[in-house]
Amino acid sequence: MHLKTVYVTVGTTKFDALIEAITSESVLKALQSRECRQLILQHGNSLPKSVEESRLISQQYGIQLEQYTFRPNIEDIKAADLIIGHAGAGTCMDILTNGKVGLIVVNDELMDNHQQELARQLATERYLYTCKPSQLAVQLESLDFESLRPYESADENMLKFVKALDELMVQRWTHSASK
Amino acid sequence: MSTEEAVVYPTYVILGSGGHTAEMCKITKALLQQQRAKDSDKYQPIRFVAANNDETSDRQLLAVLGDSGTDSLLRVPRSRNVGQSWLSSVFTIIYALLWSCWLIWRDRPQLVLCNGPGTCVPYCYAAYMWRLLGRLPAHSRIVFVESFCRVETLSLSGRLLLPLADIFVVHWPALAKRYEDRPNLRYFGRLF
Repeated sequence: MHLKTVYVTVGTTKFDALIEAITSESVLKALQSRECRQLILQHGNSLPKSVEESRLISQQYGIQLEQYTFRPNIEDIKAADLIIGHAGAGTCMDILTNGKVGLIVVNDELMDNHQQELARQLATERYLYTCKPSQLAVQLESLDFESLRPYESADENMLKFVKALDELMVQRWTHSASK
Repeated sequence: MSTEEAVVYPTYVILGSGGHTAEMCKITKALLQQQRAKDSDKYQPIRFVAANNDETSDRQLLAVLGDSGTDSLLRVPRSRNVGQSWLSSVFTIIYALLWSCWLIWRDRPQLVLCNGPGTCVPYCYAAYMWRLLGRLPAHSRIVFVESFCRVETLSLSGRLLLPLADIFVVHWPALAKRYEDRPNLRYFGRLF
């Protein structure tokens, strides 16, 4: 699977280890071998790469680097062939509801970050992949992105909930109607 | 017609910020779906509750439910702002608590429906208290839907409300297993 456009997002915080990993030699090589041409980096409060560095990346790997702090990113998500993101619930759901291929990089320096639970659960169910920053290069080389499952709608479960709620309230409704 | 019937008992839907509100809008939309017209009417009127400095809930409500959403939006003081000092928090929390007690007393909701933002805790406690004291009808209900990103552990709001919610919904099997001894805990699979 070719990953022409790769979108990297760290969300509203900072995630230096992800920015470092994604612009490391081994990861850039892996991206190059997957025919990546464009790398868009939403770096949040982490520092962006210098102009000189992005020029070097373009020369050495043929990958155009675009960087920004924040902006509404739905267009970036829709345009991407692969989304590499932090373990935020919003990022995970953006990937799944847009039918995108995602690799969530778990920040192993954050202890007790409950949002990682969601990313791990979704990975267990094979909706996306997770890895640590240090594993990024190896994973990009070896992961089979085509074997991920599409995210099914949960409408049926929602209906079950609504039915349970109706049943709970019916007591109240029959109570007031019988008066 | 008895006086009991003439009183309108609304549904209170407590919104939080960003992700919480988006999830709550989906739940409310499912409740009000057309094909269920017979039952969905019974949840009306719906009053949405949002913190007064929460600007995103307005837009999300409008996008999902149209004008009927924003028209019924109640603005309430927030318990605590991010970075607020401990001492001033005590006063704002008390203020927010009094507000919730007043609103629940005034409107007598038949159902308080919420999904985890800190704002919802005082409303559930107020509804519980007023039901015990007879101000709310005995068949009024408190329903809590845990945050979607809670897979293995409950949120702080969840832990505070598990003892008193009539239905407490979780999205993931690990939580369902951990609290399987709680009769009010329900698991329907993920809702989103």
